[in-house]
Amino acid sequence: MKKEFLKQTEHSVTLNVTAGKIDSFRELEKTTGTVRVYDNGCIGVAGCLGEPDEEELTAKAVEALAFGIPYPCRLDGHLVLEDLHEEEIIKVPDFIPMMTAFLDRLCEMCPKFAFSNKINLSYNRSEYRNSEGRHLVSSGRLFSIELIAQNRGSGNLFDTFLVWQGNHFDEETVLSNFKKHYDAFYTPVELEPGRYPVIADVSGLFGSFFPHFIGDMYVSGASLLSGKLGQKIFSDKLSLRDDMNPSSAYIVSFFDAEGYTVPDYRPTLIENGVLKGLFTTKKTATQYGLPDLGTASAAYDGVPGIGFHRFWLDPTAKSLKELVPGKAVYVVVASGGDATPDGHFATPVQMAFLMEDGQPVGRLPALTVSGDFGDMFGADYIGAVHNDPQENDILGAVYMDVEKD
Amino acid sequence: MITFRDGFYADIRTEDRSRTIISYKAGILEEMRTRVEQQAFLRVYDGRLWYYASVTDLKHLQETLNGLYAAATANPAIQEDPMVKRFEANRDTVRSFETCSVRDIPLNKKQDLLLSYLPLLSGDPCITMPQAVYLDRNSRFSFRSSLGADISYDYQTCGIAVSCDMAEGEKKFSGHWQKGGTRFDDLTNLEEEIRGAIAEQTSFLRQSVPVEPGKYPVVLSPEAAGVFAHESFGHKSESDFMLSDESMKNEWELGKTVASPILSIVDSGEIPGCGFVPYDDEGTRARKNYLIKNGILAGRLHSTQTAAALDEGLTGNARAIDCTFEPIVRMTTTYIEGGDLDFDRLIAPIKKGYFIKTIKHGSGMSTFTIAPSLAYEIIDGKLGRPVQISVLTGSVFETLGLIDGLTKDVVMLSFVTGGCGKMEQMGLPVGFGGPYVRVSSMNVQ
Repeated sequence: MKKEFLKQTEHSVTLNVTAGKIDSFRELEKTTGTVRVYDNGCIGVAGCLGEPDEEELTAKAVEALAFGIPYPCRLDGHLVLEDLHEEEIIKVPDFIPMMTAFLDRLCEMCPKFAFSNKINLSYNRSEYRNSEGRHLVSSGRLFSIELIAQNRGSGNLFDTFLVWQGNHFDEETVLSNFKKHYDAFYTPVELEPGRYPVIADVSGLFGSFFPHFIGDMYVSGASLLSGKLGQKIFSDKLSLRDDMNPSSAYIVSFFDAEGYTVPDYRPTLIENGVLKGLFTTKKTATQYGLPDLGTASAAYDGVPGIGFHRFWLDPTAKSLKELVPGKAVYVVVASGGDATPDGHFATPVQMAFLMEDGQPVGRLPALTVSGDFGDMFGADYIGAVHNDPQENDILGAVYMDVEKD
Repeated sequence: MITFRDGFYADIRTEDRSRTIISYKAGILEEMRTRVEQQAFLRVYDGRLWYYASVTDLKHLQETLNGLYAAATANPAIQEDPMVKRFEANRDTVRSFETCSVRDIPLNKKQDLLLSYLPLLSGDPCITMPQAVYLDRNSRFSFRSSLGADISYDYQTCGIAVSCDMAEGEKKFSGHWQKGGTRFDDLTNLEEEIRGAIAEQTSFLRQSVPVEPGKYPVVLSPEAAGVFAHESFGHKSESDFMLSDESMKNEWELGKTVASPILSIVDSGEIPGCGFVPYDDEGTRARKNYLIKNGILAGRLHSTQTAAALDEGLTGNARAIDCTFEPIVRMTTTYIEGGDLDFDRLIAPIKKGYFIKTIKHGSGMSTFTIAPSLAYEIIDGKLGRPVQISVLTGSVFETLGLIDGLTKDVVMLSFVTGGCGKMEQMGLPVGFGGPYVRVSSMNVQ
């Protein structure tokens, strides 16, 4: 009988902000443990909340084999790797005073905005061991600011956001970046309906199509990609991956829930326009004859399933200015978009800036942007840029139809 | 026995949660497990800051509480704090599911029920990837506070969800159907309902045509109308969004006309289903709250913090997805009240428009969106061909003013997958519903 053991620990400290002031402090510690055993083509899983007792979990996992859940036993072999990033970003006793000072400066700099929501410090540690000698340990840390900004008097739930995610806190950079955002917000501009470069994060551009990359849907024939694995069907400039590399995905472990890793920790879906991979587990990869991707996820007491972490586009330009010189629409808030079964995508854009030469010059009215799957990933794909306008940003650009609401 | 200290407000919420999931894909068992978890969330307030802790070790709650007390600063005037003065101190036990708990139903009986429905998913060759899942949850909550609140209640949902990837030639569609309830017996004898849903969806795959984008009259089903009410107005009624901007109280003054005079929207934790919350996570008793009554802004949803800040009454809407998080203002069951028409009279005046029968998702801010799944043309007052629509969008307030017809009967819905997301707390079970609702113009993409 073969076996896997997993342990996850999380520690987070979260401040809630109301009207630009901190009004609560929350500390969370969570540990989970998992044992999976494999026998006669089946899997047995047991998990616990709290410090795991491996022997007890193993006995329960063996009992769970009786459910008869088919799963191939394809444990990866010997590999011992550790990638740890555990240094404190901000010491817990300093967290409230530092963030109070930051919020005071932010509110003074942006008096027309009312700020609320969360500021968070997160640390995690993941361990994977199996009976084939594999032992992987990863730890990460993340500082995140996720503040809602309400334009005073707008009557809206939110008008825009201040978002920062990184493995450090650089107050000056956060404030200077957001000052540009703030100034542009109060400069209304118009744009004639038409076809423009639209800049957005990966999920905003392509998120509605991600189910089409799931192995089950691919083999069912219902995916827009069905039958096209290995074919060059997208733009040469498009390389789309799942980012599990600790150098950029700060709180993601470099291995998946089945202990699988790829050399650069960025499993590939599309490379230079060629469909290279689909979301799989070891089970679906085996069942359908698809390549292993290495992005599986699992509940602490569950059978591995489809997962993804942080989408990554290979950069094609060094700056937004180089990527889209001239006019472009930079989507800040777009919620509620979707695609028809044949791939026509439309989404309302609640907040967008008009960009000129890579800089925000003004706030656009509410828009709807639309495009077709094949074109958005193909001829209309312009490229991607990293770390602009903010460190750790990954933005893509696509030509789309833009209409006023 | 927990000892609370003077000089602070404190409360402790615990949950003992049992959840079962059984799933099949293409006829093969994928998952079968029952998870039982115990968690607690502790809060201490000193009149200046809240201090929270989430723990899984329920044997040492006093020590955790003492740790929070140590971080806070004792306040001799805490009882005079406007928030503390508002807390209800209810003492009650509500056991709605003791005699029909899903915990008492053997796993193999749940599995057999799901297995009995699987053959219905493979009757048509266009269904290439059928999936079915059984889900249930039974929770036992307790709530105790330093003001003397002592509440115990239970909660239960169960359901079956089906999804089918379909393909025939170049035509593709992902079909969905689900049934939620509060008792295992609610999930039996569903063969005809499932068979009908699958037949409608295979027909949609084969016959649906792309929509001509534009502005049209639209009729929303109770499912679509309920989601519209939740997304377009329910979130705007969550009054925590009013706390940061002092001008909001004028913008959202009660008594203001915000919608068509035929429209009334209600939120209530008293409705049986997945939004049933007899006491919220601050110990406040559930009640019926009108958000809009006859087109007039009639109320909003509150936690104790927001009620105190806005000097309004409690509503029973402080909820957390589990004991990992603090309660924030959330909906329970949100619905539109019925009108005076039947369905045929509702669609009769429409020359060209669309009927939205089922949806994939919705969202709402200043503009709302609904992503339909099954939709149909309405031509000369009759239902016509199935149509593919990516999204319906519109300005919330403009659309609320354009509602010009409601059917009499109201349908309440409970789903067991998905749920409501708000910032870090995703997947909160909420109920919704309404009548069939006619809107004179919506942007159809």
